[in-house]
Amino acid sequence: MSVTAKKSTLSGVSVREAMRMEVIRLPADAPIHKAIRLLIKYKIGALLVTDEADVPTGVVSKSEIVAAYYASLPLDSPLEHIMARPPIFCRAEDSLESALETMRSTGVYRLFVCEGGREELTGVLAYPDIVGLLYGFCRNCEKSLVNRRKAQELDEGTTRLRVRDVMTPSVVSVPEHATLAEIMEALSVYRFGAMLILDAQAIPCGVVSKTDLILAYGRGFPLEETAGSILMSRRVVSCHQDEFVEDTIRKMVFSEVRRVFVHDGDPGEVKGVFSLSDAVRVRSGSCRACVASRI
Amino acid sequence: MSTARDVMAERFPTIRPDAPITEAIKLLETASEEEGRRVFGLMVTNDEGRLVGIISMYDILILIRPKHAHIWGTIDDMDVSGLLEAACERARSIRVSDIMTTDVISVTPDTSIMVILDLMIKKHVRRVPVVEGDNIRGIVYLSDLFRHISGELTRECAALRQE
Repeated sequence: MSVTAKKSTLSGVSVREAMRMEVIRLPADAPIHKAIRLLIKYKIGALLVTDEADVPTGVVSKSEIVAAYYASLPLDSPLEHIMARPPIFCRAEDSLESALETMRSTGVYRLFVCEGGREELTGVLAYPDIVGLLYGFCRNCEKSLVNRRKAQELDEGTTRLRVRDVMTPSVVSVPEHATLAEIMEALSVYRFGAMLILDAQAIPCGVVSKTDLILAYGRGFPLEETAGSILMSRRVVSCHQDEFVEDTIRKMVFSEVRRVFVHDGDPGEVKGVFSLSDAVRVRSGSCRACVASRI
Repeated sequence: MSTARDVMAERFPTIRPDAPITEAIKLLETASEEEGRRVFGLMVTNDEGRLVGIISMYDILILIRPKHAHIWGTIDDMDVSGLLEAACERARSIRVSDIMTTDVISVTPDTSIMVILDLMIKKHVRRVPVVEGDNIRGIVYLSDLFRHISGELTRECAALRQE
């Protein structure tokens, strides 16, 4: 164990403390449209696919469904045709560090959790769950922004992380008249989960995410449909680049988005993106001073 | 032996798959008023009147459930005002077909109530459509089934007391 890991306050934390117990699953012969409905209803990024003996055999995430849409697969195609395999597992008693390391080395965003020596599946651990744990940890920290505010010691602002410090300082957008197929191509090239949509005046007018795309697929929209026609709302969740990271994470949690678009005073001019995965990347809840919370 | 025909409701509301869920909610309310009981589920029918799914109050509640409740659920000083409004705002663009259940277990008018009882318990459902060919004939509610069975049960008790 490295010195940093020893100091880490979260290093004693196990997967069990961050995981969710609810695992949504479908059999391998279930149709794609059914998976879409479950992902939308339960607001999850992926579901587990099992064989006839209820043994986990694969994972279907929004990405696999978007790829199926792009390939114009019929909505009643079985999940076994599109699933990623095998599912990646960890154990409930594993440390969060080792789970994160597994995610990093295998390039997945979620692990399915087994209990002890048994094969029984008991939960799932996804990126946002880890952010959540960190966030809760930071809030309870005596140095946290909230507790500072209570103590009216706002002069510490200079040491705290602001969105501009951790955001991705560029943004990719597409015009409102771009087709769904073009959006999917751009998402795959940049490995993004959502695309900013600009109106005719080049002002951000909405966001098309993978969730919007799988909804469009389920509803039978053709790939030639334009971004503008499937926009769920003309609202872009954004923040000022000088906002504290902690406040922005809270905004994401409440708005149920995985990213916010960052501006410098004028929301019409987007400077960058700050995502939940950026929050995991800096691997401190919100505070530069706090080495302890780094996992 | 009683069958679905004896316990099913023959008046039932239906909704189209492309209707927004707000319409489903309104329909649940008006149906509850008209029937004089709480109606918590609707059969979803296509243009030909064929049953394609069921949407229940529970499907809608799952959708409204906050995605990150496990994060702020443990933080008691967090200001959660506006959360419900935000969830409802997002849910308004969702259609019935986006969240309905398509694995609908149905019975025929001649299915025995004991079989229906077993189905409802095993599959955790509180309502079962009654279908004949492509036509919907009615719907069996768990509460009606219970009323029917409890009638039998108490009659038996009353008979025993008289002996």
